[in-house]
Amino acid sequence: MTDAAHHAPVSVTAPPDNPGLPTPLWQRVLIHGVLIAASFVMLYPLLWMFASSLKPEHEIFSNPSIWPKSADFGAYVRGWFGLRYSFGTFFWNSAVIAVLAVIGNVLSCSLAAYAFTRLKFAGRDFWFAMMLGTLMMPHHVVLIPQYVLFLNIGWVDTILPLVVPKFLAVDAFFIFLMVQFFRGIPRELDEAAAMDGCGPWRIYWRIMLPLSLPVLATAAIFTFIWTWDDFFAPLIYLNDMGSYTAQLGLRAFVDSSGKSDWGALFAMSVLTLLPVFVVFLFFQRLLIDGIATTGMKR
Amino acid sequence: MATAVGTAVPLERGVRRRLALGRNLPGYMFLAPWLAGFLLLTLGPTVVSLWLSFTNFDLIGDPRWVGAANYVRIATADEKFWTSMKVTFLYVVLAVPFKLTFALLVAMALNKGISGLTVYRAIFYLPSLLGASVAIAVLWRNLFAGDGLVNQLLFWAFGLKGPSWVSDPDYALYTLVILSIWQFGSPMIIFLAGLRQIPQDMYEAASLDGAGPTRQFFKITLPLLTPVVFFNAVVQTIEAFKAFTPAFIVSEGTGGPVDSTLFYTLYLYQEAFAFLRMGYASALAWILVVIIAFFTAFSFLTAKYWVHYDD
Repeated sequence: MTDAAHHAPVSVTAPPDNPGLPTPLWQRVLIHGVLIAASFVMLYPLLWMFASSLKPEHEIFSNPSIWPKSADFGAYVRGWFGLRYSFGTFFWNSAVIAVLAVIGNVLSCSLAAYAFTRLKFAGRDFWFAMMLGTLMMPHHVVLIPQYVLFLNIGWVDTILPLVVPKFLAVDAFFIFLMVQFFRGIPRELDEAAAMDGCGPWRIYWRIMLPLSLPVLATAAIFTFIWTWDDFFAPLIYLNDMGSYTAQLGLRAFVDSSGKSDWGALFAMSVLTLLPVFVVFLFFQRLLIDGIATTGMKR
Repeated sequence: MATAVGTAVPLERGVRRRLALGRNLPGYMFLAPWLAGFLLLTLGPTVVSLWLSFTNFDLIGDPRWVGAANYVRIATADEKFWTSMKVTFLYVVLAVPFKLTFALLVAMALNKGISGLTVYRAIFYLPSLLGASVAIAVLWRNLFAGDGLVNQLLFWAFGLKGPSWVSDPDYALYTLVILSIWQFGSPMIIFLAGLRQIPQDMYEAASLDGAGPTRQFFKITLPLLTPVVFFNAVVQTIEAFKAFTPAFIVSEGTGGPVDSTLFYTLYLYQEAFAFLRMGYASALAWILVVIIAFFTAFSFLTAKYWVHYDD
């Protein structure tokens, strides 16, 4: 292991796969055996769900195999149009909310992080301490007053309660993440820019942001996934089916036609998981490094 | 903009103030979005929430001050509160240790310098990432239904006839515990990162001294890993206290069968948004805060007896 890896809080650039003592061959075989079996157990429920979405009804609960005897995509069509609104509406709503949440979080959190790390102003340390304090608070405390507030200003049944808070950097966790990253960017860079007459805005936009793409991407991807998966906030704020997100649509489907059409239920379940799965495939490395270095929840 | 030439002192003070403003202004401009969010959506609501917890409030009329009545009723006359407490604590006490144990075991297996590490890591992490979604809760409900996959497999492998897990109050909570354990991926990744920080020469020295794998684990791995164990335990416990979606979906929002999956957050949701008892629900929220704060403080206070930081 390199010396740097010892001193990093947790190594970002992973040390080589072999951490020292060679593992004897029989042990390797045994470990691989156990890990492959464990992988199968981990993935089996997901594969079974996917297979079930392709199976005819009678086969779902009689054939535990993950290979359907014949593939039939009819369940996807039945599910997609199974409610008063099609799942196209729900996916569109989810996508709009998730994309706006990503933009909001990345912008507002990076602005705050920049202020906390690079700008001097009266009260900075006080507000920083406040920000850290909000990291600890469970969301349930502010839930009801926030609901009352949004209800009174007529935002219930719109996407505003789900999106506007993101533009106000309510996910303090990401500020914290960006602060950690910004602190690692050499001060000489923005000091030189300031010498050349750049104002704080230009330094933020032209120097800090471009240099911070890894942390911005991590924040963006986690925001996307968490917003896409979120069930609680849409459950509270979106009552009209036309404004449902994919998660709410799926839940409505469970409550209505889902009970008589398992294939369609699994088909829609697969579809709601798909965006997260695709993001995971593409950004796996980034997500795992994000977890490893910062210990994000979940 | 110096207009009053003759009055030097006030002018100077004005200039000084303007200079101070000029110095502080960029900072506050960059901080403005967060500051607005903090005051309007966090600090303000926190204060209001505390106040509401001493009122009766049904959203329609004005909040009516009732003093400590909500808290008194919670403590003395609310059976559902105690049920939800019991359910939640049982869930935390079962799910967190098992989850962390699996996470550590798998991380140690992955840290053996085997090939295919990234593939395994991805596979084990995937359920954690998907876990918060409704689809997974739906899947779980079907896996553990009377004629679901789990019982099919039990019958196929052992000829056993399993219970109808999710609709049996004796088993429903355990299916949620299993769901939580299935999502051991993110603590596993943190354990793996922590394991890689342990200097290999310590193991080399230990095996020269004749220490076997078990001894090495208890004398080197575990002590050096305690900061990570501590971190994972605190984060996972807080997350477990706040669990909501799986219980909501599996029980169709009721916390049933017979309140056996009535998680604390689910009870809070019901009180607030099904029965519109907003004041009462605020009191419940504050009790959750106190529990989490108490737990966190307790963890940090006891940490010095078992968490080792190298110094």
